[in-house]
Amino acid sequence: MKEEIFISGRNLPHIDPHLELWHWPISLYLFLGGLAAGILFFAALVVLFRKEDKYIGAVKYATIIAPIAIGVGLLALLYDLSHVWYAWRLYVTIRLESPMSWGAWTLMLVMPVSMLWTLSYFKEYFPKWNWDFGFLSYFDWIIDFVIYHRRVLAWILVPSTILLGIYTGILLSAFNARPLWNNSILGPLFLTSGLSTGAATIILMSKSHAERRMFSMIDLVLIGIELFLIIHMLMGMLAGSQVQHEASLLLLGGEFTVSFWVFVIILGLAFPAILEIFELVGFKVPAIIPALLVLLGGIMFRFIMVEAGQLTRYLY
Amino acid sequence: MDFWKENKTHIYWNPYFGGFMLGLLLIATFYITGRGLGATGGTKSAVITTVDKVAPGYAKESSYYSKYYDEEKNPMNNWLVFETIGMIAGAFLSGALSGRVKFRVQHPPHISSNKRLIYASIGGLLFGFGSQFARGCTSGAALSGSAVLSLGGFITMAGIFGTAYIVAYFFRKMWIN
Repeated sequence: MKEEIFISGRNLPHIDPHLELWHWPISLYLFLGGLAAGILFFAALVVLFRKEDKYIGAVKYATIIAPIAIGVGLLALLYDLSHVWYAWRLYVTIRLESPMSWGAWTLMLVMPVSMLWTLSYFKEYFPKWNWDFGFLSYFDWIIDFVIYHRRVLAWILVPSTILLGIYTGILLSAFNARPLWNNSILGPLFLTSGLSTGAATIILMSKSHAERRMFSMIDLVLIGIELFLIIHMLMGMLAGSQVQHEASLLLLGGEFTVSFWVFVIILGLAFPAILEIFELVGFKVPAIIPALLVLLGGIMFRFIMVEAGQLTRYLY
Repeated sequence: MDFWKENKTHIYWNPYFGGFMLGLLLIATFYITGRGLGATGGTKSAVITTVDKVAPGYAKESSYYSKYYDEEKNPMNNWLVFETIGMIAGAFLSGALSGRVKFRVQHPPHISSNKRLIYASIGGLLFGFGSQFARGCTSGAALSGSAVLSLGGFITMAGIFGTAYIVAYFFRKMWIN
């Protein structure tokens, strides 16, 4: 008999001493959510600055990925749930103190708006369709309506995508029992990383040299900010209490050191930054390589933070 | 910048200078990591990982694979794998700097790309076999081995370049008209 263990109050399988509940769907969702937020943020910004003709890849082509990314991410979230049929309950309450509630409602706003955005470019994706024909004529006026109000969509998207990007980090940092996550830099850090992966996707989808150049510069600035934030996150932890200190050691000498430094810092941030600088200076580098590396770094960063954060804990 | 673009579209180093720099690199590698270089070790780790995934348990049983297999450690978690990643990244940077980064198959005019790729695969296969017999390739056995005065290293070096010298006679038509 093991009563003495059962009554100790520490028998919390999968929660104590380590959280073992969040698996790959969560990391994938955090990545895709940030990616969609990044793409839509830049697309909206381009429209608000009236530069649609110059940055076609950003407003027209990369944005197709956004609703798909959010959709796949949400499916991954549902797959991860133990009680899938209770998911609707998120939408019968508003809890201002819960990041998950913020996220659920932000997604409720961003997802349809991103779909309307792609709808507004439908006629340009299929220029040869006859929109007066048969059932298509029902959609015609809707599309015209959306095209007319595209700037309104953009005004909605700018704040809501920032909210979406930052919430993917705050969702983790709200766990006050997991020291690696529980810092206020994680929100801005995930937002920056999401914007950076968004810019990389726009580079991938763009056909114009000027556009790739512009978004390479934007990406370069974002990579700089991201490195700055990561350094400050680690410095803050090293200067923190024993639990924060031990949490940071997972990335500075512990289990996740190699994967974090090789795949996130070097291959995901520093190396693409060097390649982008080369490209801007004038050397010939295929734009696809740094963009793919940034995406790889982004996805690895989410996986490592979710995995490593669950291992960290308070000592009591 | 323009000077590079105009005059140095194909900058190859002098091979003797390249060899000297490779020697300096080897010294630096020994100084920094305490080991030599290696090129085939990373591939070997990838092969063992694949074997272990496809036929679980086989890698542990096999007399060859088991030497490099540790149940508690992922075979990919090996310094050679990361060295290889760094090598690819560094080579890419160097190629970009000299303006040579593009997708292409280099071959002499009288041979088709397919032929070149097939022969390259055959040569690669032979080299892979050889490197495992010798327990190291040009970098791991010959270069790093002879740098520390290992007899095996010198024999491997003589074997690789001696055989190449002889065999090149029979295959020279592939490269020169």
